[in-house]
Amino acid sequence: MTSDQAIVRLEEASKIYREGKMEVRAVDSLSFEILKGDFATLCGPSGSGKTTVLNLIGGLDVPTSGRVFLEGQDIGLLTRSRISAIRRDRIGFVFQAYNLIPVMTAYENAEFVLTLQGVSVRECRDRVMAILKEVGLEGLEDRRPDEMSGGQQQRVAIARAIVTQPAIVLADEPTANIDSATADSLLSLMEKLNHESGVTFLFSTHDRRVMDRAHRIIRLLDGRIESDNVIN
Amino acid sequence: MKIYKMAWRNLWRRKRRTYITTLSIGFGVLLSATFTGMADDSYTKMIDTSAVMGLGHVTVEPRGYNETPALDKRIFNTYQVKDTILRIPGVKYANVRIMGQAMLASANKSIGGVFIGIDPGVETGEYNLFIRSIIEGQPFTDTDSRGSIVGNKVAEKLGIGINKKLVYTTTDVNGEIISEMARVTGIFETGVSEVDGSMILLPIDRVRATLSYGSADATLISVVIEDQRRASKMRNIINSAIGDPETEVLSWKETQSELASIISLDKAGNRIIQILLGLLIAAGILNTLLMSVMERTREFGVMMAVGMSPFTLFRLVIMESVWFGLLGLILGVIITSPWYAFLYYHGIDFSGMVGDDYSASGVLIDPLMKIRLFKESVVAIMAGVSTLTILSGIYPAWRAGMVPPVESLKTI
Repeated sequence: MTSDQAIVRLEEASKIYREGKMEVRAVDSLSFEILKGDFATLCGPSGSGKTTVLNLIGGLDVPTSGRVFLEGQDIGLLTRSRISAIRRDRIGFVFQAYNLIPVMTAYENAEFVLTLQGVSVRECRDRVMAILKEVGLEGLEDRRPDEMSGGQQQRVAIARAIVTQPAIVLADEPTANIDSATADSLLSLMEKLNHESGVTFLFSTHDRRVMDRAHRIIRLLDGRIESDNVIN
Repeated sequence: MKIYKMAWRNLWRRKRRTYITTLSIGFGVLLSATFTGMADDSYTKMIDTSAVMGLGHVTVEPRGYNETPALDKRIFNTYQVKDTILRIPGVKYANVRIMGQAMLASANKSIGGVFIGIDPGVETGEYNLFIRSIIEGQPFTDTDSRGSIVGNKVAEKLGIGINKKLVYTTTDVNGEIISEMARVTGIFETGVSEVDGSMILLPIDRVRATLSYGSADATLISVVIEDQRRASKMRNIINSAIGDPETEVLSWKETQSELASIISLDKAGNRIIQILLGLLIAAGILNTLLMSVMERTREFGVMMAVGMSPFTLFRLVIMESVWFGLLGLILGVIITSPWYAFLYYHGIDFSGMVGDDYSASGVLIDPLMKIRLFKESVVAIMAGVSTLTILSGIYPAWRAGMVPPVESLKTI
């Protein structure tokens, strides 16, 4: 069953890694959709395939078999440069380890993808300042990552992910390296962005707090869907 | 943030490494400039000295004279040709000369030698190395006198001194053996044994009379030009200006083929040293960039994950190598300038190490080692360093762009 509202669709997607002579089936014939406006999580134990699914959706990896669609486009059929452009324009990434560029300030990190898009300096400035204010980093624009706390860095990462108004934000364990108060605050921020701006989020997490806030929980086990529940 | 700005900041992540790499490029520039400058200066001196010792940078002579020199081959209207040559821009001066072989004899001894008939009114010390190198006596002043200026070793071999007589025997224009007496007015010492031991200067009109030449006849016109590097071009210009099928215009490379070979060989050796030097510098930059790229694999993965294309990543690393090149060049210029100035103005005197004979292949070599870089050498060094740094960046840049983002993100 497919929906016009689907931003992401996986059809029998599998990913098999080879470790020496062993084959590891990280994702096994997975099929599901993420709809526009979803605030969904992929959860499950380590090795269940959460990060691999995010990588497949984000075009960072290609399925061994099956297909992955993003806004109706089969990612497996696209060229490297086209996938780069899709990641730049349609996907926002938030990583567990923040992964900010250390030589750039908070402002420049948030601005980075906009400059790749070729957005004018003036528009960059307006959008970045607005987004930094929204994520609570007003006044910290000139700080470099090593001058910020983990929570502040993750806020910058979120700002970088959403400043381009992507179709979906893929967040891989975004609360894993931060304290609970900061995690709650970041989750509230992302919830707010989801409610108010309609940004679609897909998390991979073990974190109970993330699952408690999610509107949909997809549980994975050994690369397969164990359950897929919409929370009302 | 613009690529060039990001590349610049990336350079300063590891300051010490950047300093060392930049210093190695700068030092490479210094060595390259020194080797090239020494070569530029010494080649020019050798060529210029060789030119003023006889044949000039460009020689006008009778057709076939270069292959089989003989005194029956001569140019008839030398002064008219000389006037034509002097009107050509880039010509410094031109001298009409008669050059030939002779037996030189004193009362006690005889030796084989070479004579040059010169016009003492024109060829003063400024234009004539032998006259400039007179160590005893003075030049003859009359073109028809019986004076002569001899090399110190000629005087020594013949056992003669100032005011003593010598007899030179040669063949005239008809192939007849003729002898003439000359009295020594001056003794020169150039420092080149084979020149000092065989060369004598004679007044040109006296030589003409001896050889039964006409009043404007000579075996050659030696042309000295402003810039020896333009010798081949000037040869063609002079040849066109003269337009006489009976005369031949040759550059020093043709008349002094042995010297040209020595310089070519030396240049080839110098080029090999420069290439090795370049490879050393390139290896340093390659090492630095490769380490820097490998350290940032994860960061590159993130950049690609958020949408940077592999080509943009490639450009980023290339830009870093460009910065290295620029910084290295700037540092190179800074550290080379005082060294260059010292060698240019003062030089290093090697006369204590080379003994009495400062010559190679019969050409005087200045034992005072100086340095002079031609514009094209400066451009070549700059271009060489820039090209090397960019080439050194290609592999690391390609590697950065080729790592799949998903693999990069796995690295710590």
